[in-house]
Amino acid sequence: MTFEKCVRCGSCMKICPIFDAMGEEQYSPRGKLYLLQVMDKVESDPELAKEFRRLLFQCAMCGRCTDVCSSDVDLLRIWHEQRARAIKDAPQEFAYLGALEKSLENVKNIYGLSPEDRAVYWLDELEQEIPNLRKRVFPEAKTADVVVFLGCLMSFRASQVDVLRALFKSLEILKVDYLVLGAEEFCCGHPLDLMGDEAGAKKLRTHNKRVIKQTGAKQLITCCPGCLSQLQNNYNFTGIEVLHHTQFFDRLLQSIEPYKQTEEFTYHDPCELHRICNVKTEPRSLLKKMGVQFRELELSCCGGGGLLRMTDPNLSDKIQQLRAAREKLSSTTVITACPACREQLLGNNLKTKDIIELLVTCLSEAKG
Amino acid sequence: MDFRKIKGVFYPRTDEQVQEAVAWARERGYDVTPKGGGSGLSGACTGGDRDRVMISSLQMKEVLSVSKDQGYVDVQPGATPDEINVLLAPLKMKFYVTPSSRDVATVGGMLNTDGGGNDAWVNGTMRDNTLRAKIVLYDGRLITVEQKSVKSSDSQLESDLNSVGMTINDVASSHGTLGFVTELRLSIRPIVQERLIGGLAEYRDSDELGSTLRRMIETKSPVKYGEAIVAAHPDVRGELRPPELILEFPEDYASNLENITHFRKLTAEELAKLKDVRLKLPKRNPKKGLQLALFEDYGFYGDGLKMIQEGVAGIDLLLKKHGFVPFAKYGHAPSKWYLGNNAAAYGIILHSREIRPEGITKAEVFKAVMELVDLCEEAGITPKPEHKWPYNDKVKNDRIQQIREVIGEGFNTFVLQSDCNVVLSSMV
Repeated sequence: MTFEKCVRCGSCMKICPIFDAMGEEQYSPRGKLYLLQVMDKVESDPELAKEFRRLLFQCAMCGRCTDVCSSDVDLLRIWHEQRARAIKDAPQEFAYLGALEKSLENVKNIYGLSPEDRAVYWLDELEQEIPNLRKRVFPEAKTADVVVFLGCLMSFRASQVDVLRALFKSLEILKVDYLVLGAEEFCCGHPLDLMGDEAGAKKLRTHNKRVIKQTGAKQLITCCPGCLSQLQNNYNFTGIEVLHHTQFFDRLLQSIEPYKQTEEFTYHDPCELHRICNVKTEPRSLLKKMGVQFRELELSCCGGGGLLRMTDPNLSDKIQQLRAAREKLSSTTVITACPACREQLLGNNLKTKDIIELLVTCLSEAKG
Repeated sequence: MDFRKIKGVFYPRTDEQVQEAVAWARERGYDVTPKGGGSGLSGACTGGDRDRVMISSLQMKEVLSVSKDQGYVDVQPGATPDEINVLLAPLKMKFYVTPSSRDVATVGGMLNTDGGGNDAWVNGTMRDNTLRAKIVLYDGRLITVEQKSVKSSDSQLESDLNSVGMTINDVASSHGTLGFVTELRLSIRPIVQERLIGGLAEYRDSDELGSTLRRMIETKSPVKYGEAIVAAHPDVRGELRPPELILEFPEDYASNLENITHFRKLTAEELAKLKDVRLKLPKRNPKKGLQLALFEDYGFYGDGLKMIQEGVAGIDLLLKKHGFVPFAKYGHAPSKWYLGNNAAAYGIILHSREIRPEGITKAEVFKAVMELVDLCEEAGITPKPEHKWPYNDKVKNDRIQQIREVIGEGFNTFVLQSDCNVVLSSMV
């Protein structure tokens, strides 16, 4: 039990977005670890035990506490394990997560929509602009060097279509041999992983892995750091390289036509990309190659991770609002590289662009 | 720790909310325990085992005003040195008390423990840098304690407190026994652009290191950063070669320093790396087992600096007797702290970490702690000079009792209880 290694130095407290928003010790990683250390006392009081289980899901799972800990406490692992335990011990307290679990079990996406619809909305929207796009969708497209794993957010949300447009156009301009999994893509399993449902996540992974293998892909790319963390860390692919789209394009392009910048940019590191997948240099390298000037933001969470939008939407919004005020975000366009961060920023009326949206402008300019 | 004895937890934002929280406790006859960032290791902010109300300063973190000309900043007690200094940086000013826990430790808590940084040697401790502190007492009245006197809108109270000579020295190290600090006026000074260089001095033994420190203290050495590594377990030793002294000092002081100790100049990168190693020593764990700060630190000063070797050997012998494996000993040197009678002591604050033996009982752990306190008293070592061991400090405790006779009791009483040791042993 690595939580016993916590020396309660408090380094994790002030950098925790939940503590920042709530201001009370029990919301901080240190506070939660302390409760774990005295769990016998917590469990002897049913109300306290219930409160502790609730606290476990008031967490953005951003991993900043793990990052800052010098005592070798793997806090993220602890949160995963304790979440699983909480749901197992008191499923009735997490009934609101049941709909999500059911959706993932029945229709394999987080929205409860028909699996067939996974390649309907964006295809309808983009087909005219990218005429061959339909032929890029599996199983009509059977094999390709590069497979694009879209993830639930990008497959179903209208707010993501601009990013998809930019992604597909960039791939077309660069003549990449790619296909999109379409209706055969299931959720990557990330939400279930965050709930500690390993068995459910495994089922989804098994299906995805089989389909991806059929395509003969050499590279698997995704714009979603949540999907990336699953594909990289839990799928155990052999012979298939899993990349974030910023990694893929940064490797592919040695130089890029300069971006004609007319607005003030900031860059927000998605937590799962930066801390969990350790992708730090490529997004910045791409921006540098495009000559984009930007202000670095704090390495803090947008508030949209760890299922927090489901478990405590008000807290999730408050985290973003505090950041927006502190880092003066309303006067800038926040560049990021994550569909969940994008949703969170747009939901709080902030301007945002994925890096790929800037890139496609440069590539189109170069193409003339 | 019996949670049921904590009758309420308050996170006030204003003086009025503090007064309301204190009134809530008073009306029900509960003790009040103030709590800051919780990074200290005196144990005082636990409140012992009394029925009590906890008042946290974590939401009182505003910087209220800054006077660059007069060199002060008014802050709420929950602000940390890092937070204050971020705001002062554009003014090219700084609050100079910066312990290694400066990202977490609150200035209210730091005053109550009289905390200092590794540069307390040059910048002093909290009491040296606190111009005044506003305090809510158990009866709800407000006093302002300054460096030489007390002010209050209650003239009788003001007169009574001034007649016993209450000053900021009394609030320093009072461990929340006097009241809840709601505002502090802290000294700030310009950021001095000075070219500093690093040096590493290695010694045959700790006494040689101690003698060097004595000479540095006698000559008022302008060392800005001094950290001694006296011992380190192989799991965390890395490139460290204890006993050694990591130093940072003004470049033009190098030749004077050479007259005091031999040392090797460090590059900026080497110095940064060593500082980082030192900073993380209290947080790292051995490959097997867990580290524990059984008795956070020991203060060697005056003639005691000639006998660090013997002192450490005695401490280690006692630790081993109780099954603890010495893990690391390191600390601020030269440094400064205050004794219970408010006299300044200059020497080394030697932090200590141990590997906790498996299966040791609470009673055994506490027995080891109490034997260490006795050992300190016999050897003229200050027990926990930085984090404090207030429970056996008779001079300080008598003084606090004298002031509480005027202002009333009700704040963190367990610290002063005669059976405090029993309470502490139950908290191990």
